[in-house]
Amino acid sequence: MTTVNRTSTAAVPTDCWYALTTSAEVDRHLLAVRAVGGPVLLFRTQDGAVVALEDRCAHRAYPLSAGTLDGDQVRCGLCGFVYDADGQCVSVPTQPRVPLGAHVASYPTRERDGLVWVWLGEAGRARLHRVPGLPWLTDAGWATVGGTVPIDAGFLLLHENFADVTQIRFVAPEIAPAALAGAPPPLEVVVTETTVELSRTFPSSPLPPWQAEMLGIGAAEGETVQRGFFTSPALWTDHWDVDHGAGTARLRFTQLVTPFDERRSRLHWRVSRDFAIDDPGAGDRMHAMFGDYYARVQAAMETAQAVLDTDGPGPEVNVAADVAALRVRDIVRGMLAEEGVALARQHLGT
Amino acid sequence: MTETRTTLREHEAELVVASVTAVADGVRELRLADVSGSGLPPWTPGAHVDLVLGELVRQYSLCGDPTDATSYTVAVLREPESRGGSVFVHEQLAEGAKVTVRGPRNHFPLVSADSYRFVAGGIGITPLLPMIAEADASGADWHLTYGGRTRGSMAYTDHLAGYGERVTFAPADEVGLLDLATILASPGPRTLVYCCGPEPLLAAIESVCEQGWPSDALHLERFAAKVSDAPVDAERAFELVLAGSGVTLQVPPDKSVFDMIQDAGISVLGSCHEGICGTCEQAVLEGEVDHRDSVLNESEQAANDAMMVCVSRCLSDRLVLDL
Repeated sequence: MTTVNRTSTAAVPTDCWYALTTSAEVDRHLLAVRAVGGPVLLFRTQDGAVVALEDRCAHRAYPLSAGTLDGDQVRCGLCGFVYDADGQCVSVPTQPRVPLGAHVASYPTRERDGLVWVWLGEAGRARLHRVPGLPWLTDAGWATVGGTVPIDAGFLLLHENFADVTQIRFVAPEIAPAALAGAPPPLEVVVTETTVELSRTFPSSPLPPWQAEMLGIGAAEGETVQRGFFTSPALWTDHWDVDHGAGTARLRFTQLVTPFDERRSRLHWRVSRDFAIDDPGAGDRMHAMFGDYYARVQAAMETAQAVLDTDGPGPEVNVAADVAALRVRDIVRGMLAEEGVALARQHLGT
Repeated sequence: MTETRTTLREHEAELVVASVTAVADGVRELRLADVSGSGLPPWTPGAHVDLVLGELVRQYSLCGDPTDATSYTVAVLREPESRGGSVFVHEQLAEGAKVTVRGPRNHFPLVSADSYRFVAGGIGITPLLPMIAEADASGADWHLTYGGRTRGSMAYTDHLAGYGERVTFAPADEVGLLDLATILASPGPRTLVYCCGPEPLLAAIESVCEQGWPSDALHLERFAAKVSDAPVDAERAFELVLAGSGVTLQVPPDKSVFDMIQDAGISVLGSCHEGICGTCEQAVLEGEVDHRDSVLNESEQAANDAMMVCVSRCLSDRLVLDL
């Protein structure tokens, strides 16, 4: 069993597909990204396949991403060790034989929906786990805006924030939909072994002005169905569907979380809409609004993490609506237990 | 202000029996397909689902491919002396039949290890099949000893024979009872034992693993409630506090904690109501639990921080749950 340190990665599941970057960003050049437990090097082979290797030369402490890509091989920029696409060192400059142990970790990769998913855990298990599907990111009937935010907060804090929709009212009151202003309607939470789904149906309320304008329908009211999905530590999605009388306007929020360690993460956020899809002005407006929203989420999460870092975990009182977030904690605890990490209940997520 | 309710439930779907295959004497494999198009929830080895079989709900381990989002596979042994679940499956669930499936859930997960000893008795092979696939894929060292009445009664022997020497078939009519002492003779430091099968096998393996194996090395799943020899306290009343809900109740001797929680209008998950499936597990904050389930092992019970509320009760006067 592993002991958990404050900035260790032991409390972060690794047997999980994480979306490290977009397909567009990976090409015939060396790209460095941080992920659970360390640096990852990404590049595309001449055949177009994505390769993910540990971004650190086996010889000395130097990132392979600071080297050169020659065909499908990477040469270390410091010492000249050359690695193939499986991470195996194939030549060293100073002797004919490659030393034993001269290899770097090679991680399974998949591309789906314009994202590059990487498996940083036990490699043999990767093919037994599905890569999530996010069709609205690339389907023709949708337009998507997005960004990336590094957050000095643990991944579980982020998921617990996503799991509590009512927090939007307090974190970002200006953009919170009017639907959230009243008492929240009944919350339904549906669980499986590995997932949590929550949903609420909000009674008819005014559409946010920006949405009414984009829909070209003037002041309008609509019934909103909100659904949130915890798919894995790597992914939380939200659906906001408004039936405004002249049709349904759909929004999909895709939150791709990559933990670096227990207290730092990266969030790739995407907001996809199936209305005003050809209106670049609408896209710019969405990008500005939600860029601001996620900046506020970042600030709130970092504040929460700072409390944990300074004063440690404390007793928590739960309300009934926390059941979704608590089930997420249970699932993550189970994942860690399967990976051989034992945590006391009260220390998880802190 | 209107009262807002939170309800918690498990995923439920109506699936269609896509195929029925006899995979051994008295064993039928059913492939249950999603027809809604929304796909089925993912699961990991050791998971099971509820099948709603008329008036009964029964749990069956998932034994197919975890990456298949379109169907779930279970294998059911016909047991004439059972309460009728398996008979229902064999007689009523033909191809094309609809069946309500709840879950999946998993109280028998495969923990990461360098080395595994799998021991299966009869239909207990079903949860171990996907575990073996995962252990093999991860490059772990593993061995399966698979016992049953006769070779013909043992399902998936052809598939398992493909693993060569890692699998030992031990039908009782050929080799007698499994020699567990030999099979589990050399406890390794990072070796886990996974076992599923009839109660006599499970009791025997618990006994063997008490000698020389670390207390957390053995993982097993019971398909039937353990019959306890230990004297059970005459049912007593006690106070039940649901800390998160701010509710205090008096539990009478003739009502279960689960029933009290439901009657109080608080969402709680449950399935078998016999203390085997683990669905109703709740965190315990205070009180001495009177464990009557077949899920928690000795050290888990001694930790006194969790209980199966459908069967377990309280030895002290006050039980506080984090609910």
